[in-house]
Amino acid sequence: MEVTTGKNIGPEANLGKNSKKKKNRVKPMKFTIKNIWKHRAMYIMLLPCIVFFIVFSYLPMAGMVLAFKEFRFDTGMFGGPWVGLKYFERFFQDPQSWTFVKNTLIISGMKLILAMPFPIILALIFNEIKSNKLRSFFQSVSYLPHFLSWVVVVGIIQSILAPNTGLLNELISFMGGDGSTFYLMEEKYFHSIMFWSYVWKDIGWSSIIYFAAIAGIDPALYEAAAIDGASRLRQIWHITLTGIRPTILILFILSLGNILSAGFDQIYLLKTPGNAEVAEIIDTYVIRTGLQSGQFGYATAVGMMQGVVGLIVVLIVNRFASKKFNTSLW
Amino acid sequence: MRQKSWSFSQILNIFIVALLCLSIILPFLNILALSFNEGTDAQRGGIYFFPREFSVDNYLEVFKQSSVLNALGISVFRTVVGTAISVLLTAMAAYALNTRTLPGRKFITFFIFFTMLFSGGIIPYYLVLTELNLTNSIWVYIIPGLYSVWNILIMRTFFSQLPDSVFEAARIDGCSEFQIFFRIVLPMSKPVIATIGLFNAVGHWNDWFSGAFYVRDPNLKPLATLLQEMLTRQQALADALLRNSGSYEMLEKITVTGDSLKMATIIIVVAPIIIIYPFIQKHFTKGVNIGSVKE
Repeated sequence: MEVTTGKNIGPEANLGKNSKKKKNRVKPMKFTIKNIWKHRAMYIMLLPCIVFFIVFSYLPMAGMVLAFKEFRFDTGMFGGPWVGLKYFERFFQDPQSWTFVKNTLIISGMKLILAMPFPIILALIFNEIKSNKLRSFFQSVSYLPHFLSWVVVVGIIQSILAPNTGLLNELISFMGGDGSTFYLMEEKYFHSIMFWSYVWKDIGWSSIIYFAAIAGIDPALYEAAAIDGASRLRQIWHITLTGIRPTILILFILSLGNILSAGFDQIYLLKTPGNAEVAEIIDTYVIRTGLQSGQFGYATAVGMMQGVVGLIVVLIVNRFASKKFNTSLW
Repeated sequence: MRQKSWSFSQILNIFIVALLCLSIILPFLNILALSFNEGTDAQRGGIYFFPREFSVDNYLEVFKQSSVLNALGISVFRTVVGTAISVLLTAMAAYALNTRTLPGRKFITFFIFFTMLFSGGIIPYYLVLTELNLTNSIWVYIIPGLYSVWNILIMRTFFSQLPDSVFEAARIDGCSEFQIFFRIVLPMSKPVIATIGLFNAVGHWNDWFSGAFYVRDPNLKPLATLLQEMLTRQQALADALLRNSGSYEMLEKITVTGDSLKMATIIIVVAPIIIIYPFIQKHFTKGVNIGSVKE
């Protein structure tokens, strides 16, 4: 997978305060030979970029025809014979498929909805801390896990949750309990491990954007509320949370596009023979059937459904958002 | 009375974030302690935040493996080379896209942005890599990661905030567009270059996926992939490591275990990030804040 950087909150998202700065708009010039020649340096600078996206993004999109074809190594991506909707039928007729879809929806639902309040609450708490030095120290520490690979995080989890010698089991047996639980091997613990490690890893980093939005709220509003006798909690509820509502909404809407991808790295690494029944998601299934057992056509079909659903959800939600909240991705 | 309730909430707030930070720091101390403890001794349990039987054997053993040193080399190579090329190309593309008069600017921007919303999926992507003979080559770490839509957009936003008058003046003085880019734009853009470069470098250093699925040659695996292999089949690997080290005849002297080697490897993977993190952390947050501004 390509190196993902930054935070996936959508590039054009209008997150409030700085959007008012408007440069005097200059329209792109018409497509004439003269204008193109004038910008030749720009096109040279853009050329590798355009080639890159054609090769690594649009060519794979064209390669989705594989979902309707049989893959043969001798003829390559586009050569094999057509098989129609065979792979789709196979997916929908396989009762196991529904387990993967269900697992995916449960995991992504927990991440999108249940995990959502945590960074907001953290941003509120950071905002209440008056000492700047103390606050920025805590903030810096809280961002750190975001920069660690899931490989490292899962390695730490394996160690802490190890039976007998792990910190958690040591604590349990110290308090007189049974310290031999192999948490990663048991289905019933999977969702809490997945959820809390996800919250832990990104709570600090996700709070940045909310914190910035809170900082952009007009202080006069708080003063007015204080004069009216509103308590601090009421101020937070009526001013702070209302003030950052657009930010919360946009981030939520954007994240909905990920409804069918529950985060490959984390789930793949946390998956063990013990919890596979609840930990197999569409992403891991595609990798397993496609890359690991070579059923390229079938895996392409499954991946394609995932991508199409994601796109449709984003388009619908974006249309809804631009009508209802006047905020749009583009 | 108001004053009193304030200080109580201050203490409560600080207590909560302090707990969060402890939950981040303590696990590392535990791993660090385990990595500096004799592996055989650690199996008895009871090691928290200090080693009980101090030993550097785990690290010595890990670094004795040619595979680890090799993987370290691959990781450093892809981080340095990949980041350098990627930042330069991203800056060029972002600069061109920021030129408001560029014919076709809107279309090209959408052409790039769309790839963020929809992709062909991993399998066709993998087959493209195969057709290009990138799989099982060191370039699979560098070329497919050269651009990211997100980074292009962050850079473009940054460039759009540079004063136009500087470019105009340079153009009137007869500078070519490339001269403007290299002599004026790049030097003015150090903050955003630092930000994008760091995101990129961290991404390269942390990426285990391409090493695990696009590369078969064990000599081409980066450090993160090596750690991932240790996590998924740790016992087999630990045995192989022990066998390779040729120390079977001195079996009674072996103090390392699969787990303790794993701990040392985790520390080796995170050490560069944690060591430089305090110095570069402010660049990261800057990137998020630039990126969230609409043009």
